[in-house]
Amino acid sequence: MARSAPLALTLSLMTAVAAGPALAQSLAPGESGNRLEPARYVSEAVNDGPKAADRLTLGMWVAAGNVTTYTIGNSWNDWVLWLVYDKLREPSPYVGNSQDWLATRVEQVSDDARVWEIALRDGITWHDGTPFTAEDVAFTFEYYREGPPNRWTHHASSVPRMVGIEVVDRLTVRLTAEKPMPNFDRITAADLPIIQKAQWEGVEEPRSFEELPVGTGPYRLVAYEADRFYRFEANEDYWKGAPVVKNLDLVMIKDPQTMFTALKTGEIDGAARPVPPELVREWRDDPDLEMISAPTLWGAWLDLNVQRPPFDDRELRRAVTLAVDTAPMLERVMLGQGKPGTHSWPHVDSFWTKPDLHAGYDPASAAAILDAEGYVDADGDGTRDYPDGSPLTLDLKVASNQPLFLRAAEMVDAQLAEVGLRVDVESVDPGTLAALWRGGDFNLRIADITPHGIADQDMLIILYRGDRGREPTVDEEKAAIVERWLDAETREERLAISYELQEYQTRYPNRVMLWYPESTFAYRWESFDAYVPSAGYGIFHKYSFLPQEVREAIADPMLPAGQ
Amino acid sequence: MVWLRIIAAYAAVLALALTLNFALPRMAPGDPLAFLLPEDVLAEMTPAEKDRVLAEFGLDDPVAVQFAAYVGGVVTGDLGTSTRYGAPVWDVVAGRLPWTLLLMGWALALSAALGTALGVAAARSRGEMSDIGTTVLVLALGSAPVFWVAMLLITLFSAKLGWLPSFGAAPLMAIPGTWGYVAGVAERLIMPVTALTIAQTAGVWLTARSAMAVALSRDYVTVARAKGVPERAVFWRHALRNAMLPIYTNVAIGLGALLGGALVVETVFSWPGIGQLVVQGVEARDYNLLQGVFLVATLSVLAANLLSDLTYPFIDPRVRR
Repeated sequence: MARSAPLALTLSLMTAVAAGPALAQSLAPGESGNRLEPARYVSEAVNDGPKAADRLTLGMWVAAGNVTTYTIGNSWNDWVLWLVYDKLREPSPYVGNSQDWLATRVEQVSDDARVWEIALRDGITWHDGTPFTAEDVAFTFEYYREGPPNRWTHHASSVPRMVGIEVVDRLTVRLTAEKPMPNFDRITAADLPIIQKAQWEGVEEPRSFEELPVGTGPYRLVAYEADRFYRFEANEDYWKGAPVVKNLDLVMIKDPQTMFTALKTGEIDGAARPVPPELVREWRDDPDLEMISAPTLWGAWLDLNVQRPPFDDRELRRAVTLAVDTAPMLERVMLGQGKPGTHSWPHVDSFWTKPDLHAGYDPASAAAILDAEGYVDADGDGTRDYPDGSPLTLDLKVASNQPLFLRAAEMVDAQLAEVGLRVDVESVDPGTLAALWRGGDFNLRIADITPHGIADQDMLIILYRGDRGREPTVDEEKAAIVERWLDAETREERLAISYELQEYQTRYPNRVMLWYPESTFAYRWESFDAYVPSAGYGIFHKYSFLPQEVREAIADPMLPAGQ
Repeated sequence: MVWLRIIAAYAAVLALALTLNFALPRMAPGDPLAFLLPEDVLAEMTPAEKDRVLAEFGLDDPVAVQFAAYVGGVVTGDLGTSTRYGAPVWDVVAGRLPWTLLLMGWALALSAALGTALGVAAARSRGEMSDIGTTVLVLALGSAPVFWVAMLLITLFSAKLGWLPSFGAAPLMAIPGTWGYVAGVAERLIMPVTALTIAQTAGVWLTARSAMAVALSRDYVTVARAKGVPERAVFWRHALRNAMLPIYTNVAIGLGALLGGALVVETVFSWPGIGQLVVQGVEARDYNLLQGVFLVATLSVLAANLLSDLTYPFIDPRVRR
């Protein structure tokens, strides 16, 4: 295997060239025009390693229990679930142009976008050999609507809420929602894992369910030991073709230093967690490792507690967003690897984000707003007070296991001090921080936000609509926008109303985006070298292990090194 | 009567420990719900829905009912279900305990042997350069944070030299019971045991050095020497036998500290023991799991101390009076 292979370069260039027209094509209905930047090789050289493997060992760091939708709850480890489970459409709700997968047709059949019909692919079997049918799809929606909640159940229980789930025939399902769901095919269908009726029927306590999962996906989970390993075997009968990696072992390594040492020494073949910024620099010319920067759609944000004073005052929120300068934060905290925060929500590269949405950095305007609202230094101690003269001190909570956030908190502290706002930074353990969040007992918090939270249009509404009880009902203007969004019957109308909501959120944020990290992943190219990027998932996901033609059809664009 | 008093005292301590094991996790801010579900799901749930999730783990009952269930469970062996692992706590703990016992057993034996040997040698050469050098080295190593020592070992022996695997307790592909498996486990034991042993040795060493120095200055040693007992016999039979008493106690008491060290070491080396369970349990506010692990830890420490107390009279005849 050559150190720098012309073949790989040529392939990459061809991919990039092929992606060009796609990037330039006219907008699909309901899209903003924003596009993810293509993934790129970060390594100095691009190698040409094997495109198949008998066995591959990857390090993971967030446990996935017995790999069911009830043991996986976030974007840290949902890629493990997708090894086993498939969706109606793939790869994700973050790309905007997902393709039919378990479904052969996902069609809107009512003008108001409330009724959709799904035709399913014939001949697909579950891992236990039984046929996949419409009963399984209908059951999935019913179970998620009626059963215990998980990260996916909102697709059947709230946004959208299904009121009619009907099996039309063996391979056809008809769904009716309470409100329009013009994006059902690109969000719900591309995010909801389909579970097997035979396995889950009658399961009332899914979080204590100990059986191994039965899915339709390219891998079977054959063994696992909590906090030690997961062992997957290729599903040779997979309808898209047998996976090119026959045995996939995932080993649990929680400590980041240990994880990356294991990768460096060859104990593992890939590390399924982003490489820290300082290591990216160090490993750039490592001959054993290859690094790819792939879009993961993550973010770090400053959470403003709008449930209680003083941030129930939206003008104060406006002042804070104008006073926070995210560019130096990116440089000093993330060593420039990523993009600075521009607005409240959603991810800057998401296909339905309003172009040029920008909160701006304008401390003079921030100070003017504070003055106008009566937040002035009444007692002469050098910091602003409430309009009634009482001292105004904002607490900023950070999880103690997030050193990067602590550095960012110190910068927020300094920047808000510039406009006269006093901040007390406090580092607490993650459990305590979660409790403070749930109880609304904080002013400011710095936290991660995952693709599901920041790049899924439905989640904008779930997280920000006025009826959830936690958001300020005082923001009637926002609640009204949300109501119109829920009633919108077309993609275009939804996008337009979403723009209004995004503008509102940018002006009066309850979250200020600090940065969007550039996620770089490293692997040993001599073990396996056919990883492809997928929006929101990085490079470690099932699509990297599918046959070449499938892999290339579903992957995002990829650029060679140095671009 | 001595035995009865000892056992009664331990029963009281156990009752107190059980209460604390139940109360402490619940006194920390937060509850398991926040870690079972992502924020957006939680934000949408009604109190009834939240109760329904907690009910899966028996956590929706009043605290008194939960405590009664916990105490009853301790007696019957049913420690409830772990929210973090979705499995019976006893199954989770039982799967991890052998790994921790293996780790701690080696660290305990090595630190006891090493600390005693070095301490006794230091007492013999008190004030000399070798004693001063050993003192500085042992105290410096003993004071170093165990996670830092662990990371140094990984950096040196895994990253730089490539001699030892950096994580895990056993090779993934080896079949348990085979030579390859045993060798793999042994190989993976070296660094975590070394880290723990280094942390634990200083305490034993200090006790041994001091106890031996005191023993050597006692009248019975002077008398032995005056009687013409050979120096070797004075050292081993008279001084060391008496010095062993505090060393023995120190080693037994050190089990608790060793557990604390294991908690850190297991995380750094991805060692699947109960130390990692504590970390996971605290992170997830997994009450049932923490109760179970704390129970095992409590029983282990109490058992070690009880054993020490019960066997002490055999070592020191004065206690029997």
